[in-house]
Amino acid sequence: MYGKGILKGLSVTFMRFWNTYWQDAIWAWRRLTTGKKHYGSAEGIAHRSSKNARGIFTVQYPEEKLPVPEEFRYIPFLVFDEGAEGAKEIRCTSCGICAKVCPPQCIWIVRGTDPATGRPRPQPGDFFIDADICMNCGFCSEYCPFDAIKMDHDYEIASYTRNLYDMEKLLKPASYYEGIRPANAAREDEARRAKEAAKAAKAEAAAA
Amino acid sequence: MENNELNLPGYEIPEDVKNVVAVTTLDRLLNPVYNWGRRSSVWPLMFGLACCAIEMIAAQASRYDLARFGMEVMRPTPRQADLMIVSGTVTKKMVPAIVRLYNQMPEPKYVMAMGACASSGGPFKEGYNVVAGIDKFLPVDVYVPGCPPTPQALMNGLIMLQKKIDKEKISQVRWYRKGHDSVEIPVPILGPDLIDPRRIPDIKAAAAQPVTTPAQAGG
Repeated sequence: MYGKGILKGLSVTFMRFWNTYWQDAIWAWRRLTTGKKHYGSAEGIAHRSSKNARGIFTVQYPEEKLPVPEEFRYIPFLVFDEGAEGAKEIRCTSCGICAKVCPPQCIWIVRGTDPATGRPRPQPGDFFIDADICMNCGFCSEYCPFDAIKMDHDYEIASYTRNLYDMEKLLKPASYYEGIRPANAAREDEARRAKEAAKAAKAEAAAA
Repeated sequence: MENNELNLPGYEIPEDVKNVVAVTTLDRLLNPVYNWGRRSSVWPLMFGLACCAIEMIAAQASRYDLARFGMEVMRPTPRQADLMIVSGTVTKKMVPAIVRLYNQMPEPKYVMAMGACASSGGPFKEGYNVVAGIDKFLPVDVYVPGCPPTPQALMNGLIMLQKKIDKEKISQVRWYRKGHDSVEIPVPILGPDLIDPRRIPDIKAAAAQPVTTPAQAGG
């Protein structure tokens, strides 16, 4: 019989259509009994991403977002530690390693000077990243010896003009970094503490 | 629509008829309708230049589904497209074709620079064969950074474009005006290097200058 293939194909489409509404009914029942939601919740997105998904599996983007993995990387940002009274202790020492390794060379660092003496100090005077050139490779954060520049998770940065980020826009607190990359931050903190302990022990040995 | 958007400023409406009477122009009344129709059916032109196109295809597929924004029909002809998503590296050889496609699109038309290469040339910005950003030739409406932008980042850019369309006014859009802001872009000429016809007067003026060789300048 001719046309069987067409009918078969249409039945697949029809089953998807039917399943979408059938799933809605199932999840409505699930919501009543267990409180789990199909849309706008982590378990709903996880279910729609799994092999058990039936019917529609679209992520309704502006309302719900696909969770990004910890190693997801977008535009870099500068990490600062929060000192006493909200002082920003910027980790960056303006050594320029990130600017040297950056493959598309989108980082520009202005060396900072001490306002009192006018002599250079190990802190960036200004820090520019052309986000429109950045290729999200993450070399800067890999090479940074001070854990000062890290890759961000925020991808909602489309704009009407060119994106040239200055230091004000790039600076984000260490707590934000710990929030988006908890495992990485814990590992780096551990390494830094071990290094400091080793340094202290060495100084003690030299004094004794 | 809010009353303060609808009413023309400078007209005092008595307090007791404020919710009944509105003083407005046809322009103010029609703009929201026009913009709503425009923003809800932005049809992109179906072409991809590089790896960003893969993400654009992913955004178009059912996982992210641009149909929710009225952008499901990607037109393979510029005559029916509203939006040009420049997705990928723009080589000098490709620019004449892209500008020609842009000229063939009917107004209103929008351009989105998707990814680092289209916005600024990205890692190839100093390459001999790559245009450092499509904004050197076309008026870009939205820049989406990323290399490549994820489908969600692209969708964020498209939502930004919808917001921009919402603010448009028929009387002020550039395609209904003449002169400098006109929509017709002269097609670049590809020779040994790329020539922008808009710069030909400058080039001719520079060529008309008397040539001074270093020897003459020195002696």
